[in-house]
Amino acid sequence: MKCYPKWLWILQIIAAIILFQTLWFKFTGAPEAVATFTLLGMEPTGRILIGLLEGVAGLFLLIPRLVASGGLLAMGLMLGAIIAHFTRLGIVVENDGGLLFGLAVTVFVMATIITYIRRHQLPFIDKTC
Amino acid sequence: MRTMVRLSINLPKIALFVNLSIPVIALLFGLAGHYISFYFHFLTVFFLLLAGINYYYRHLQTGHSLLRNFGIIGQLRYLIESVGPEFRQYLFAGDTEERPFTRVERAEVYRKAKDVDSSSAFGSLLEFNDSEIKLKHSLYPVDKDELIPYRVTFGEERGIKNAYTITKPFMISAMSFGALGQNAVRSLARGARMAGIPMNTGEGGTPKYHLMEGCDLIFQMGTAKFGVRNEDSSLDDEKLRDLAAEDKIKMIEIKFSQGAKPGKGGLLPKEKITPEISALRHVPLNKDVISPPHHIECTTPTTTVQFIKRVQDVSQLPVGIKLCLGREEEFRTLIKEMKKQKVFPDYIDIDGAEGGTGAAPKSFMDDLGIPLFKALPFANRVLVEEKVRDKLKLVCSGKLINPGRQLTAMALGADAVYTARGFMLALGCIQALQCNHNTCPVGITTHDPVLQQGLIIPDKAKRIANYVKNLEHDFIELLSAMGCRSTKDLCPENVYIPRSALFTLPSTTQKRTWKS
Repeated sequence: MKCYPKWLWILQIIAAIILFQTLWFKFTGAPEAVATFTLLGMEPTGRILIGLLEGVAGLFLLIPRLVASGGLLAMGLMLGAIIAHFTRLGIVVENDGGLLFGLAVTVFVMATIITYIRRHQLPFIDKTC
Repeated sequence: MRTMVRLSINLPKIALFVNLSIPVIALLFGLAGHYISFYFHFLTVFFLLLAGINYYYRHLQTGHSLLRNFGIIGQLRYLIESVGPEFRQYLFAGDTEERPFTRVERAEVYRKAKDVDSSSAFGSLLEFNDSEIKLKHSLYPVDKDELIPYRVTFGEERGIKNAYTITKPFMISAMSFGALGQNAVRSLARGARMAGIPMNTGEGGTPKYHLMEGCDLIFQMGTAKFGVRNEDSSLDDEKLRDLAAEDKIKMIEIKFSQGAKPGKGGLLPKEKITPEISALRHVPLNKDVISPPHHIECTTPTTTVQFIKRVQDVSQLPVGIKLCLGREEEFRTLIKEMKKQKVFPDYIDIDGAEGGTGAAPKSFMDDLGIPLFKALPFANRVLVEEKVRDKLKLVCSGKLINPGRQLTAMALGADAVYTARGFMLALGCIQALQCNHNTCPVGITTHDPVLQQGLIIPDKAKRIANYVKNLEHDFIELLSAMGCRSTKDLCPENVYIPRSALFTLPSTTQKRTWKS
């Protein structure tokens, strides 16, 4: 069993918390979330789907065996969010001073670091025989 | 000059194409996501990540040249290669190609264990090109009711009161709790009781799970003497005496070496020492335990024979020794020392280099030790030449899973045969070769409770009993076809050794003195 640095858990937990806190807005249909996804043309299916995937990613980031997979999933989701900000939403959404965009970038960076360090956990990425 | 045009796969060009395609496809999906539906961005993101992984392969990682040169398409090689063993076993390997056991050999055990029709049609799948050992039959087969029932008593030579008699020539060879999970151990033990054969406990300490099912047991003492040890791997007489007093423990076996890893000690890492293992093996928790390569009491022939005597005296049971033959003269010296001290083990188990194990270094498995059918006749000859063949029994082990090999071994001098993997196959082993990874897919060599769920003790015990029943059936049939009334009539003349074999047997003039 390979040992990974303990401080990585700090990143994992922060990323998971950021992923989890948006679920509340997404699943309760908070007006900001609905507005965002309407802009993307994904309301309501996309909102629920993305919410579910973010939940899974957050959960995986906290299960030792699945951290790398969670990280990869989070990377993908955040990449999607960043694309959305650049192409449809703009950096500042509803006068949030770029908070949402900032969070997306933060999680993306953290997930990238986590996944890179734990890449040996990924089934087909670095484990070769 | 025209070069010949050959249709071939140009891998570098394909790789270049793939490596360029990935970002282009990502871009196309990005455009689709922008102009058609945002949902396309799921694919954009997928291909972006793929491009990222490809970048990692081509420029960041340094371990795999193939991935650095070709990128993600190079991963295909590793992927396909990783499923190779399964594909070969399922589809492509010939019926007589697999190792250590071919499909033909395994299927025979499976059929015996399931007690289904074992006849074959049209012809043998084996070679008949003078490369294989065969048995010789007689023009005058013996009627089956004329056969003398098999019966061998260990310890009769010393006249001890705890002498142990077996009535079937098969014994379950050493497999410890540790190497095997508890369900597997209990199935084997229950099957052994149903079949009326003894089972060797392996060197796993107090045989808690072996004892649960009430079969006769041979307690094996490895070099670390788990279960009967002092802190320094020396023998604790008191512990051995207590263990030997156990009703079901019929014999003690001192393991000097093992065919799969002769001359190798071992290390039990502290991570593997659970409270249960610690209690059964009498080793401390939180500390690596080293198995020395030899018994610390045994450094010369003299001390070795003295140690055998000590174990006999303490245990008051028949005591055997197990070894894989290495340097021949050392074996002869040991026998001479036994003669000198007038101390003989009650049996010697010759383990062929082809013997199995849960885990061993590859070079030890492949390159060390003498194969059984060379070692066994040699050991027998030494015993006959030193005129001590009647002082002890000779037992052997090493891939003896079918009646043919078992009878060959008995014709070459053995009084009884041990097999471990034969019984594992009967338990349902599919030869996945993962015994050292705790991931045995059929729950035999694993402690994972999820994997052990599949191993239902009563059903598998029945298979063990069936296997023994059908082995015995074939054994009797073959014996009578070979014109022998009992195994004592078997001699090397009953074995056909092909000229291409690298060894020859001693002259057959020794026929009747072969076993005194």
